[in-house]
Amino acid sequence: MAFSTITGPAPEAESGVFPTLVLVRDNEERKIHLNHTPFAVGRKVDKDLAIPDPRVSRDHALIVSENGEFYVVDQGSKHGTFVNGERVERKALQRNDRLEFGVRDTIYVVFNPLHQNSNTAREFLSQISGIHISAATTDLEKLTLFLDAARRLNTSGVLDEILVTLLEATLKLTGGERAYLFLKSEDGTLRLAAGRNSKGDPLLDDKTISHSILDEALKSNSEFLITDTSQSLDLAARHSIVAFDLRTVICVPLRKPLVQAVREKSVPAALGEVMGALYVDSRFASRDISRVSGDILRAIATEAASLIENARLVQAEEAARRYQQELSIAARIQQRLMAVTIPEVPFARFDGRNVACKEIGGDFCDAVITKDGLAVVLADVSGKGVSAALLASTLQGMIYSQLTAGMGLTEIVAAVNAYFTHKEIGEKYATLVIARLRHDGELEYVNCGHVQPLLVCNHEVIRPAHGNVPVGLIPGAVYESDRCHLHPGDRLILVTDGVTEAENANGDFFDNERLEAVASRSAGLDEIFSAVADFCAGAPLNDDCTVVDLLYTG
Amino acid sequence: MNLKMETSVTDGVTVVACQGRILFGEEATALREQIKSLLKSTRQIVLNLAGVSYIDSGGLGTLVGAYSSARSAGADIKLTGLGQRLRDVLQVTKLVTVFEVYDSEQQAVAAFRRKDA
Repeated sequence: MAFSTITGPAPEAESGVFPTLVLVRDNEERKIHLNHTPFAVGRKVDKDLAIPDPRVSRDHALIVSENGEFYVVDQGSKHGTFVNGERVERKALQRNDRLEFGVRDTIYVVFNPLHQNSNTAREFLSQISGIHISAATTDLEKLTLFLDAARRLNTSGVLDEILVTLLEATLKLTGGERAYLFLKSEDGTLRLAAGRNSKGDPLLDDKTISHSILDEALKSNSEFLITDTSQSLDLAARHSIVAFDLRTVICVPLRKPLVQAVREKSVPAALGEVMGALYVDSRFASRDISRVSGDILRAIATEAASLIENARLVQAEEAARRYQQELSIAARIQQRLMAVTIPEVPFARFDGRNVACKEIGGDFCDAVITKDGLAVVLADVSGKGVSAALLASTLQGMIYSQLTAGMGLTEIVAAVNAYFTHKEIGEKYATLVIARLRHDGELEYVNCGHVQPLLVCNHEVIRPAHGNVPVGLIPGAVYESDRCHLHPGDRLILVTDGVTEAENANGDFFDNERLEAVASRSAGLDEIFSAVADFCAGAPLNDDCTVVDLLYTG
Repeated sequence: MNLKMETSVTDGVTVVACQGRILFGEEATALREQIKSLLKSTRQIVLNLAGVSYIDSGGLGTLVGAYSSARSAGADIKLTGLGQRLRDVLQVTKLVTVFEVYDSEQQAVAAFRRKDA
């Protein structure tokens, strides 16, 4: 880490060239730029960093720069200068080192922290949970407090910060050099989610860790595994051991938190599913972490698992909410597409209504004025919900455009059939009726596998039986139309099977007889829908209901 | 998941007896997958739907889809055990012209033999 000698004008904020000091006092942080050396620390007011506390000596310490390195030099202070908890006279400073001048714990300075964010997150966490971390708090309690606060941070997108804070806390508590967090992805493999070393640098790959130890820890049913890499027999891992020298490894599997009504210490808890692992190591040469307290490891394992699980649940909830929003937008669009503008023609009166059983559905009806008359369409796409709606919208568009282009009815359905069978959407099809009424009363219609139309002439109901297979099912199917003649006062009524198959509480269907009975009374849409509603008597609709009513006035 | 399928072989014909409902979703998918895997080893399938209480539009689509897949693989699916409701649906949709429907499993199996003869 080389810094050029720092002189000159005051640096810009966050320039990155000048190291920063972060003074932490109670729960407040203050950033100070180390913009010149020697940098004086003491109780006197004229110091570069003045700390007004009786335990700080007037001229306590200096921070100097030599050969690109920074050193803290104690100036014979009464209560000493500490770097990372160790009393020093003169020490080279590394990123994230914690300096204390006479006062311990409540006031300290962090040297050149790499990620301002992680420190801020930690302080923010303690702020929002209103805890005061005093010197008397043990390390384990501190960890629990940090993580408890993190859990209350209920915003998504903070998962990464939480993971980093977790690793930093783990390193601090175990005294390890490197910490990695692995999470199980959907395909079951472990993926490196975050890595940090004790200097605060991010670790971006897991090539130098022992995967064999990781696997062993996960396979075992124990809470954690403390070992050293000399015991690893894996040949591939040996290569890394030799290259990066021997290390002590602590591996803590993280298990999904189980909901337990009663937690009894005497009853061994059922083991939750493994969701990841924490891997901490340290070189033999530097520190022996093998004697880390089991309590601390257990606490880390439990709290970490809850934290991660919680953050994931929050993210899943967010995703579900966003999806629901998109669905509402889609429903609104579909409603506008489905809104039939009732066309005005002198020889007929058209009415159509759709009652969907979900927000978004696969039924639609439409009416289009063509050069030789009025065309009406009623269609029912198979299935329900979004997939049916998608097809319904496409179908509606295709038919509308072909009708306005003046194509013949059988041509239109053949074209629609070709399109949908060609696309192989997989068993999505539609039953439909297209009918065209001319001003002289001639009615041509094509029924594609749909509920038979009702022709009401003088209170008599006729069900024309002519029909074809549905569209979208059978490639190359041939479609034929039928014709009949309407007299003034005659009606054509089309319904979807949501009407005939409407069920009441007894499990009876509305069925054709009741439908014909209502139709014969020269009923309009309102009467038909009321009849269905009365019949169902509160039982919910299990399919979309659409009715078209075309009255020939002549 | 409300559909059970039992497969057996009679006279070289694979018979799939279905029990439950065939609905858009899990059941339709299960039926589709079953037919798909059977088509890898056989060309003659009889679908016995006597135990099926209800088929919705999605289930019907799967039935036709299975039939089309079979035909393009050079195989054939015959139906039997149709209840009144299903017969009505096949009537309205005119799909009764597409499927070969038999009154009993034996007749459906026999129909395959007659073809070979």
